[in-house]
Amino acid sequence: MKLGGKISGRFDFLIFGAVIILLTFGLLAIYSSTQNVTQVRNNFEKQIVALVLSIIIFVVIYNLPSTLIRTAIPWAYGLSIFLLIAVLIFGKTIGGAKAWISLGPLNLQPAEFSKIATLLALASFLEEKGNDIEDIKVILKYLAIGLFPVALIMLEPDLGSSLVYFGMILTLLFWRGISAFGLFVVLAPPLVMISSLFGVWYIAGAFAVVIAFLFVFKKNIFITTALLGVNFASAFFVKYFFNILSPHQKKRILTFVDPNSDPLGAGYNAIQAQIAIGSGGLWGKGFMSGSQTQLQFIPELWSDFIFCVVGEEFGFFGTIAVISLFVLIFLRILKIASETKSDFFSLVVVGILSIFVIHFAINIGMVIGIVPVIGIPLPFVSYGGSSLLSNFIMLGIVFNISKSRHAIN
Amino acid sequence: MTLLSSTRKTVLASIILGLFLVYGLKLFQMQIVFNSKFENKSTDNSIKAIEQMPLRGVLYDRNFRLLVDNVPSYTVRITPYEYDTTKNSMLESLLQLPKDTISRILLKHKKYGKYQPVRIKKGATFQEIGWLEENSERFPGVDYIIEIKRGYTNIFGASHVLGYLKETNDNDLKKDSFYTLGDNIGMNGIEKSYETYLRGEKGYNYILVNASRKKIARFKEGNADKPSIKGKDLVLSLDSAAQLTAEKVMHGRSGAIVAIEPSSGEILAFSSSPGYDLSKFSDITPADYMRELVTNPLKPQFNRATMSTHSPGSTFKVLVALCALELGVLNENSTIYCPGSFTYGNRTFKCHGAHGATTVYRALEGSCNVFFYKLIFEIGVDRLNEFAKKFRIGTKTGIDLLEESKGLIPSSQYYEKIYGKGWPKGILVSVGIGQGEVSMTPLQLALMTALVANNGKSFVPHLVKGYLDEKRNFVPFRFEEINTGVNENNVRIIKKGMWLVVNGGGGTAKNIRSTDVVIAGKTGTVQNIHGRNHSLFVGFAPYDDPKIAVAVLFENAGYGADVAAPVAEEVILAYLRSSGVIKLKEKEDKPKKPSKSADSTQLVTNIENGD
Repeated sequence: MKLGGKISGRFDFLIFGAVIILLTFGLLAIYSSTQNVTQVRNNFEKQIVALVLSIIIFVVIYNLPSTLIRTAIPWAYGLSIFLLIAVLIFGKTIGGAKAWISLGPLNLQPAEFSKIATLLALASFLEEKGNDIEDIKVILKYLAIGLFPVALIMLEPDLGSSLVYFGMILTLLFWRGISAFGLFVVLAPPLVMISSLFGVWYIAGAFAVVIAFLFVFKKNIFITTALLGVNFASAFFVKYFFNILSPHQKKRILTFVDPNSDPLGAGYNAIQAQIAIGSGGLWGKGFMSGSQTQLQFIPELWSDFIFCVVGEEFGFFGTIAVISLFVLIFLRILKIASETKSDFFSLVVVGILSIFVIHFAINIGMVIGIVPVIGIPLPFVSYGGSSLLSNFIMLGIVFNISKSRHAIN
Repeated sequence: MTLLSSTRKTVLASIILGLFLVYGLKLFQMQIVFNSKFENKSTDNSIKAIEQMPLRGVLYDRNFRLLVDNVPSYTVRITPYEYDTTKNSMLESLLQLPKDTISRILLKHKKYGKYQPVRIKKGATFQEIGWLEENSERFPGVDYIIEIKRGYTNIFGASHVLGYLKETNDNDLKKDSFYTLGDNIGMNGIEKSYETYLRGEKGYNYILVNASRKKIARFKEGNADKPSIKGKDLVLSLDSAAQLTAEKVMHGRSGAIVAIEPSSGEILAFSSSPGYDLSKFSDITPADYMRELVTNPLKPQFNRATMSTHSPGSTFKVLVALCALELGVLNENSTIYCPGSFTYGNRTFKCHGAHGATTVYRALEGSCNVFFYKLIFEIGVDRLNEFAKKFRIGTKTGIDLLEESKGLIPSSQYYEKIYGKGWPKGILVSVGIGQGEVSMTPLQLALMTALVANNGKSFVPHLVKGYLDEKRNFVPFRFEEINTGVNENNVRIIKKGMWLVVNGGGGTAKNIRSTDVVIAGKTGTVQNIHGRNHSLFVGFAPYDDPKIAVAVLFENAGYGADVAAPVAEEVILAYLRSSGVIKLKEKEDKPKKPSKSADSTQLVTNIENGD
C-alpha cells in the first residue's frame, strides 16, 4: 500500500465529513434517549466502542488491495448463508425476531453482514462473461443467489432486511442494463403483491397495469400468458406471505393500510413517532428536553426510531440537516459508481448505494408515517453495533473502490 | 462501464432527490405547518394534571365556636380495568357491604370508563384498611385513599341549617365544570347555599408520565403546580346557647323556632323539629336510617321553619293593627266596640268576651277578635296584601337557604280566582284574625316581629354573617336592607300593645312575665281541623332595646300562651344571658305606663278560645 498525495486526494472527505456529522447526530440522540432508562444507560458507551471498532475496520478495508475483495466472494457468501441458518437454530430472539447470534457480550446480526456478501456474489455473477440478463435462465439463477438468503431472513422473520435485499437485487439488474421488459418481468410480481394488501380495487388496478404493459411489449402468447400467470400467483402468494410474518408485523402492515384502526396497539409507535417529530417545530425542544423522548413514549427509541429524537430535540433544522447529509452521501456514491470503470466495482458501489438508500427510505418513511412500521435502522445514526460495523465495511469498500475507480480492473 | 447509460444514473439520482423532496416536504408539514397540533398532543401525552382537592371551609357559630369540621376518612376504591369481578362477594363480606353492592356501583359508573377509580366504600374502618393492605396482591385494582369528610362538634344539631354533602351526580357534573366524578357537593342547608364559598379552589400537581402512564417526575420540579385553596370558613349568626335551648325545648315535638337579631337580620336560633342526624350523612348513609327518615310521618328532613306554612292566627293581629294605623283607619285613641260577637250576613263570629269600646292596645292585649273583624273591612284585603309584602309576607324573605315558601296573604284577585267575581266578602272576617287563607312560615313570623321590634327596618334574615379571610380576619357579608317605611310612632303603639300582652293585667301571655327582662309579644292559637291546635307565639326583648325577636310554632300542641310563649321566653332568656344583656340591664326595664292599661283588663278569663 502506498500512502501519498495521490491516494489521499481520492479520499472522499465530503462523504466522510457527512458521515461524521450523521454519527454526531446519532450519538447525541442515543445519549438523550437512553440516559433516563436504566437498563440501556450504557448504550452510548457501547455505541462509542462499536464506532471505534468500525472505524478501524473501515481503515483496514480502505487500505486493502481491491482485488482481495473478489477472492473473498465465495467464502463470504458461504459464511453468511451458514450464519443465517445458524441464527435460525441458535439465534437469540429480540423484539419478536430471531435475528441475533449471541457471542458473550456481543449480539451479532448476520443479516447485516450477509447482505454485503450477497451483493458481492450478485455483482460478480452479473459481471461474468456470457451471462446475458435478458435470458430468463440467467435471471432465474441470479434471483436464486439473491433470494436464498432472503428466504432465510424471512424465517427469522425480518421484513426490513428482506426488503433491502429486494431493492438491492433490482437495483443491480437495473444498473447492469436490463431492458424495460426484463425490469417489468422482475418488478411486476412484487408490486402486485404489495397492491393486494390494499384490497380488491388495488389488485384490479395492478392487473390492469400489468395487462397494459403486456400489450405494449407484444411478446408471444406463451410468454404473455406465463407472465400473467406469475402475477396472478403473486397476488395469491400474499396470503402465504402473510402467514410468514410475525403477528406484530402483520398488524403493522394492516395498520398502515388503515392507520386509525388501532391507535393504542400497532399504530401506537407510528402515532407517537409523528407526535415526537411534529412537536419539535423549527428548532426543536432542545437536547435532552424532548418530552416524547425523555418520557419513553416510543419503545426502543434509540434503535429504529432514532430519527424521532432528532426531530423532537433538534427540530426541522435537525431533520433537514440529516436528510440533506444522506442525500449528499448518496449522490456522491452514485457519482463514484458512474465513474468506476470496472463493471464489477461499479455494480458493488451501486449495490451499496441501494442498501443505504433503502434503509434511509424505509426508516425515515416509517418514522414520518409514509411507510408502514418496519424495523430497520437508520445508517450511522441508529444504535446498533452490527449495523454500524456493516455500514462502515460498506463505506470502506466504496472508499477503496473510489480511490482506484479510474482503473479498468 | 460500457452498458452504463447516463439515463440510468439520472433515474437513480431522481429517485434519491425525489425521496429528499417528499420527505423534506412531509417534515416541513409536520414540524412547521402542523407543529402546534402535534405540540398539543405531546403535552397531553406527557403532562398529567393530578387534581388536588381543597379542604372545605368549616363552619363556626357567631362566637367562633367550631360547628362543622373536616376529618379524614378512608375510602375504598376499585379501578375497573384492573379489577377481577369474581372477587365481588369476598370483598363485600370483608367490607361489610350488602350483597351485590359492588356490581351495582360498578354498573352505575360504567359510562365513565374503566380507568376511572370508583368509590365503593366511604368511611372504611382501620381494620378493613389494614386487611386490604395485607391482601392487596389478591385484590388487584382495589385501593384506598384518605378523603376528608364532614365532622360535627355536636354542640347542637341544626340539621336543617347546616345541611350535608352528597356525591355529585350526572346533573351536577354537567351543570358545573368545577366538579369531577366522585366529588362532593352541598345537598342542602348552608352546605348547599354557600357551596361556592365552602368548596374552595382545586389545585393541580403536574407530573410527567411515560407511555404506560407511570409517574416519572414532577413537571418543572413542582414549580408549575397550582396549590389548592381552602374554602372559606363561614361564621354563622347562630348563637349556640339560643340554638341549643331552642332544640332542647323542641325535642319530641314538631314545629319550628326562629329567632332574629332585629337590628341586623341575623338569625340567632333556627330550629325545625324533628331534625335528623347529620353525622349519618358524612359517609354513605345507612339504608335503614334513610328508610326511617323517608317513612317517618313527621318528615324530619322537611324544613318547617322556611317551608311549612300555617295560619298565623292572632299573631297576625300585629300586622293588621299596624296596617290600619298606617292607613289612618285607626289611631291610638280610636275605639271599636266589641259586643262579644260579630255578625256578617247571616253568620255570627264570636269573641272571647264582650270587650266593649276597645282601643288598639286593648285589642292586642286581650286579643279581641271583633276589633279585627271590623278593622279588616276598613283596611280591605288588597291594602293588607300590599302592606304585608313590605314585611316579606306572601313573598320570599330571601333568607340564605335555598328553599323557602312564600306564604299567602289573599287579595281580591286571589279571591276572584278561587270564588269568582262575586266572592263573598264574609270570608274576609277570618283574615282579620290571621285565619282563613292567610298563611305564613315561622321565618316570616320571626321577620315580622323583628321588623316591628326594630321600628320597621331590618335586614334580610340570614344564617351566615361572613367568613374568615386568609389571615383569619372576619369579613362580613352584606345583606339587603328591608325598610317597610312604617311610621315610627305607629310601631311604638303596636309594640306597647305587645308589651301589654305579656305585662298587662289582661295580657294573654302574662304567664311569661319575667323579672329578668321585659318581653313583649303576641300569642296565637290556630284551630287545626286535623288535630290539636297549633300553638304560636311571637315576641321580642328587651322591650326598650330589642336584641332578639322570636317566633315559635308548635304543631298540635295546644294554646299559644301555654306552650309556645314559655318556650319563646326560654330562648329569649338563653340568648340574652349568653350575650350578657340580662346581667347588664337587670330589672331596669320597668313598664313605662302600666297604669293606663291595667285597670281595663281583667276581661279575658278564657283567653284562649279564638286566640
